[in-house]
Amino acid sequence: MSDTISEIKSGGEASLAKKYSQLLARQGILVAFVLFLVVFSIFSDRFLSTDNFMTVIRQASIIGTIAIGVTIVVIGGNLDLSVGSLLSFCTVLVVDLHDKIGPTGAIGLMLVFALLIGAINGYLIGYLKLNSLIVTLGMLSAIQGITLIYTGGQNVDIQNQEGTWFAFFGRGYLWGIAVPVLIFLGLALIAEFVLKATTYGRKVFSVGGNPAAAVFSGLRRNRMVFSTYLLSAFTTACAAIILGSRVMGSQNNVGQGYELLVLAGVILGGTSLLGGSGSITRTIIGVLILSFIQNGLLLLGYPYYAQWLVTWAVIILAVWLDIASTRGKIFTSFS
Amino acid sequence: MKKALKTTSFAILGSALMAGPAAADMKIGITQNNVGVDSYQTTYEKAFKEAASKTDGLETVVLDAGGDVARQIAQMQDLIQQQVDAIIIWPTNGQAVVPVVRQAHQAGIPVIITNSNIADAGQEFIAAFSGPNNITQGEYSAEMMCEALDGKGQIVQISGQPGYTTAIQRQQGFEQRLAEACPGVEIMETQPGDWNREKAQRVMENFLTKYDKIDGVYAGDDNMGVGALNAAKAAGRAGDIAFIGATNFAVGYEAMERGEYYGSVYQSPVDDAEAALQTAIDVINGKEVPKLNYFDTPKITQSNMSEFDKPVF
Amino acid sequence: MATLAHKAKSLVIEQPIWLFVAACIVVFSLSTEHFLDIGNFKNILVQTSTIGLIALGLTFIMINGNIDLSVGAVLALAACLAVDLQSSIGIPLAVTVGLLSGVVLGALNGLVVWKTGVDAFIVTLGAMIGVRGLVFVYTEEQSFYATDFAYADFGTSSIAGIPTLALLFVVLAALMHWILSRSVHGRNTYAVGGNRQAAIDAGIRVGPHMVINFMIGGFFAALAGVTLSTQMGAATPNLGRDFELWAITAIVLGGTKLTGGAGSIVGTLGGVIAIGILRNGMNLLQVPSFYVLVIMGTILIAVLFIDRQVNRNAEQELNV
Repeated sequence: MSDTISEIKSGGEASLAKKYSQLLARQGILVAFVLFLVVFSIFSDRFLSTDNFMTVIRQASIIGTIAIGVTIVVIGGNLDLSVGSLLSFCTVLVVDLHDKIGPTGAIGLMLVFALLIGAINGYLIGYLKLNSLIVTLGMLSAIQGITLIYTGGQNVDIQNQEGTWFAFFGRGYLWGIAVPVLIFLGLALIAEFVLKATTYGRKVFSVGGNPAAAVFSGLRRNRMVFSTYLLSAFTTACAAIILGSRVMGSQNNVGQGYELLVLAGVILGGTSLLGGSGSITRTIIGVLILSFIQNGLLLLGYPYYAQWLVTWAVIILAVWLDIASTRGKIFTSFS
Repeated sequence: MKKALKTTSFAILGSALMAGPAAADMKIGITQNNVGVDSYQTTYEKAFKEAASKTDGLETVVLDAGGDVARQIAQMQDLIQQQVDAIIIWPTNGQAVVPVVRQAHQAGIPVIITNSNIADAGQEFIAAFSGPNNITQGEYSAEMMCEALDGKGQIVQISGQPGYTTAIQRQQGFEQRLAEACPGVEIMETQPGDWNREKAQRVMENFLTKYDKIDGVYAGDDNMGVGALNAAKAAGRAGDIAFIGATNFAVGYEAMERGEYYGSVYQSPVDDAEAALQTAIDVINGKEVPKLNYFDTPKITQSNMSEFDKPVF
Repeated sequence: MATLAHKAKSLVIEQPIWLFVAACIVVFSLSTEHFLDIGNFKNILVQTSTIGLIALGLTFIMINGNIDLSVGAVLALAACLAVDLQSSIGIPLAVTVGLLSGVVLGALNGLVVWKTGVDAFIVTLGAMIGVRGLVFVYTEEQSFYATDFAYADFGTSSIAGIPTLALLFVVLAALMHWILSRSVHGRNTYAVGGNRQAAIDAGIRVGPHMVINFMIGGFFAALAGVTLSTQMGAATPNLGRDFELWAITAIVLGGTKLTGGAGSIVGTLGGVIAIGILRNGMNLLQVPSFYVLVIMGTILIAVLFIDRQVNRNAEQELNV
């Protein structure tokens, strides 16, 4: 029944109103974003302030930075659930090495190890063609274990917190903007450019869109998938630098659960889990929405679990709106 | 297949080597809450193993539930199956482990609860409890808060992981005592920091945006307390706020040295572990032990901190 | 004799996970004294019954080509309802309400997947976050405990020497195996997962069919919540975190394809028992918990690799 109604609606004449409504639906995520901002601003006088906005974006920068790499993996047609543990591992490593070999060496060595783990993921999934969900789930567990073995379960801290330039990444300001925000948006800008304007980007899209396509020899396909995991490991390592510098210490499980928050942000941005479509800009909006929901509900005085219920509804509605606009129908037609 | 087999047999070989000789007069099993989630629990485990290795004729089975109640119940069953002489359990949840504690009791194995006690319904099945009194700790923190603010002010609370006994009891003790002793101090809001410093930092940033005047912060442990301090320092408001935590961590101790952190509750994981092991050994040897063995967890503030060693964790 | 050998061979090829189970049993029984006790095997069965029950229902959903990430949260909600309500409406009714909550949430997930066309992974990822929110709204962060020890006694009871929970799991596994391999619904489950368009063309009402499987999945998740709460005599809001991951892992180890269309209850059973035996064996061997994480992760990937080597014909199976 409802199918016919929606079919009639979408099957009507191509009026201007319809064109607008379609445009609106295509940008559903943006509409939802603005709607949230308006609603929260009405109910909380604290919400609409530069300070609060900067706080929220700064808080979103860690998840957002990871989400850049994960978006590329997902566009390539795979998943990466190992980023939560990888974040813990990298943060612990960079903080622990900081006092031992200095910030430059710590960052360098940590990047090497992060890329090594990315390469393991990439090899297993790209070359051995194992299922990405299960492989990265296994890695999630294994990396957490390795982190704990490395520290022996102890927290790590940076002793001289005031006198190190490492503080710049998490606590510093440049041109009045918090450095984590600059790192996050800078990486996003580069990634969006690479995806949209380079051959590499086009290849990522086509690998994800049609893994069996004849245009790709097997070898080049393998290499493409491999490279996406290097990228997600790299952005996760960057997030770890922000996190480690912000806290100046690390617990072993500091990244626990981040893999799902990141994935929720990516999905909310409308990147298809089937691969082949998606964009960094929209992922950023997805991540910001999650962050604003959390901040807004908290300012309004709701308990923390209220955000989980809202997130549930927002994820499904946003993706539904997105799909429905492409489909031209609100509901699916099969019974 | 070969590869998997190799992996397992290597692992087994490794652990068999670690387990050491099997002959012993006494076998004690312990299932812990979540080692590695914070340094307290890790230091506890180390201290426990060390104390055990110093005791002649004692063999231990050291397990960790990873914070999962279901896994802890499975580990209890495995320990009952191995017929150990006593079981020490650090409950992941004070209520959910009661039936399996009863099972052990019925199998004739004495159970010693460590660190945080189980629910009243389970008290008749345990040989003893050994650990800190988390409600008292909350009360201590309330008293320090009162002192720090001269009985008047607006504060926020950052609690531990929701649903966990330690978090609930500290919050309870704090809120009750504060209402009694200090009706002039108002808790404006409570949010969980999940024992996570970064999470606490984020929560505090939101509090700072929301409230123009915050006189004090009570955090369920120092890890979170220092996270809150970080946020306040970044906002340039740390000087106006009294920070009070619990379970004094090294980072909290250092912040106190710098005069940025008001106080905490001093709790040694080494005392905690040794007390639990000793209680278990006493129970096996048939000595009379009091049912509730609280070890002392004094207040530590900037003024008396010189009496305490810096925590190793 | 020859046919028996042939059968065994085909079982190994189709179900390599059972070979792994056998290998684990050999290794652990050689390296630890208590492993081969009957009592230990009873323990393992009871311990695996929680993940196992979830996996039974989830297998149907996954053969359908869908997935349900919300089972862990559904388990918690059902457990909390069943335990909390029994003081006011009695144990049987409280358990019924708990089970119904699972069925209703399953139906909701299924309907959303059917009607909106949003990928089940996304729908249930949302539900996984949201249902956990419902649990916290309902419990207000508190744990509940059963005032009546009769409830916990059920969890530890035995019938003819076999733990009731283990028996319940085995019987339900047999039932689900029968439904999947012998009934029309079972055949349709494969057909819909194998080629949805062909199934529609063949006149299968794919939408309602998927909803039914989500309801089955919700029911089993809720049942797992109830049985787990009888073991604890209590329910906590954090119950069942990560259980969805372990259930999915067990199912995939058991040979069910994430793309749908292939899988079996026998394989799922193997996967569940493999994980159970590994955990139990490592407990008995006292493998330090940090190493357990590494070993579990490595084995998971290794088994996946072996499975692919054994089934070389499956060459294109990359996407979610």
